[in-house]
Amino acid sequence: MKKIEINPMTRLEGHGKITIFLDEQGNVENAFMQVVEFMGYEKFLIGMPIEEVPRTVTTICGV
Amino acid sequence: MSKPKLAYYLAGGCGGCDIAVVDLAEALVDVALQLDIVFWAPTVLDAKYKDLEAMPDGSIDVGLVSGNVRNSEHEHIVKVMRQKCKVLIAFGICAACGGIKGLVNLHTTEQLLDKAYINTFSTDNPEKVPPQTTVVVDGKYELTLPTLMDARPLDQVVKVDYYIGGCPPYHEHIGKAFMALLSGQLPPSGSWITMGKAVCEVCDRNPVLQGKSKKFATTVKRTIEGTPTEGACILEEGYLCLGPVTQGDCGAKCPSANVPCRGCGGPIPGVKDFGLRAISAIASMLDNEELVEQIPDPVHLFYRYALPSSFLGKRIKR
Amino acid sequence: MAWEPKIIVIACQWCTYAGADLAGSLRYSYPPTVHIVRVPCSGRVEPEFIAEALIRGADGVFIGGCHFGDCHYKEGNYKSIRRFNLFKRVATELGVEPDRIQLEWISGSEGKKFAESMTAFDAKIRELGPNPLKGGAQ
Repeated sequence: MKKIEINPMTRLEGHGKITIFLDEQGNVENAFMQVVEFMGYEKFLIGMPIEEVPRTVTTICGV
Repeated sequence: MSKPKLAYYLAGGCGGCDIAVVDLAEALVDVALQLDIVFWAPTVLDAKYKDLEAMPDGSIDVGLVSGNVRNSEHEHIVKVMRQKCKVLIAFGICAACGGIKGLVNLHTTEQLLDKAYINTFSTDNPEKVPPQTTVVVDGKYELTLPTLMDARPLDQVVKVDYYIGGCPPYHEHIGKAFMALLSGQLPPSGSWITMGKAVCEVCDRNPVLQGKSKKFATTVKRTIEGTPTEGACILEEGYLCLGPVTQGDCGAKCPSANVPCRGCGGPIPGVKDFGLRAISAIASMLDNEELVEQIPDPVHLFYRYALPSSFLGKRIKR
Repeated sequence: MAWEPKIIVIACQWCTYAGADLAGSLRYSYPPTVHIVRVPCSGRVEPEFIAEALIRGADGVFIGGCHFGDCHYKEGNYKSIRRFNLFKRVATELGVEPDRIQLEWISGSEGKKFAESMTAFDAKIRELGPNPLKGGAQ
């Protein structure tokens, strides 16, 4: 089985990749999209005063 | 004569610095016409990582990296950027000092994944599966993900030639930095590209610039507990503005909008650990010892942008 | 060779350092694990000094200054305790053992107190053991 990786997905904010699996005839057997990053805001915001959160979470996506 | 080549990589960041470059608007036309942008992934161009890897070493004149280094893919590509670029710039406070996303260093990867994928009331994950670095779907399709690690600023992974702070850097400052780059008028390698003044020096609310002297803060207030008096220093009124220790290339934009500075511009020249200098400055500006105890959540305040570049780099007991 | 603690003492020249000298002349002994750094005022002490000492392997850091009202520069010791308390709060939250850093007011005439404070701090550091932070948190 042949595997093609398209990395990164472009013209967006964020990191993602596409993996395509081809069968013996060269046709697409299956394709997957993965989000290749993880941030963690859900955990590290805990404890922060609530009025500081809006200025902080705008950095999840700056676009 | 061929135009200088520019490459831009967004690692563990938010893309805000990329958009700040685009925010140059009309100035971008002047800049873009003088540069050959050969790689800008993943935000602006349709370039792939293998395109970057195929370029000859040292063939790119200027490389910009924004975002901190958070997983093995970021680490690999920033090392490739260092190989291919003659001058590498840590662009934005995430690349320079770790940024807001550096606050992940307060917790272990397991704790972060557990909260995001398993232990939240709105998450539907009955089998409690966290992301894996390798997974085989249906027994034959093998998929991989990069390994997560502690967030690091760029200079803890590769050698950095210049640093530009800001979250994101103010677009006028970026314009000046690009002009300096194109004309070759840069400070020595390893320094910050900045005008070297603190936010207070460029802030209209600074009483010293109005001929008065600064007074100590007699109270500590959260920003929800009142509004700063027009024209008065925000730190004096107790709102814990970090202006004294932050670089002011932004022109003190936040204080001019009635909001205390939170330190995104990076430390003033000569300071390695932003949080420690901020602790020193803010504690000195308070009128008595009890006020120090009233500061809510000092770690998220003083180390919001600079935890990975701090003396510990992370919380050591997690 | 058994572990011997390395303790850095940052002492203000007008009070604590003079107290240390007095301990010497009055022959009050204190442990040789103590290394004294003289500063003009305890207000000179930046949190960066304490952090740098801990990263480089100091097992304990002790700041000594004048009592309130006695500071040669009037307000230096007030600044010192405000910075120290805030630094200790942040460092403790980041995982530094809080007993490794201490601030005390010891005047130039308190030679006996200096020797006693050093002995007590040395004992406390021996109980805590070697500093896990040497070389940074890596």
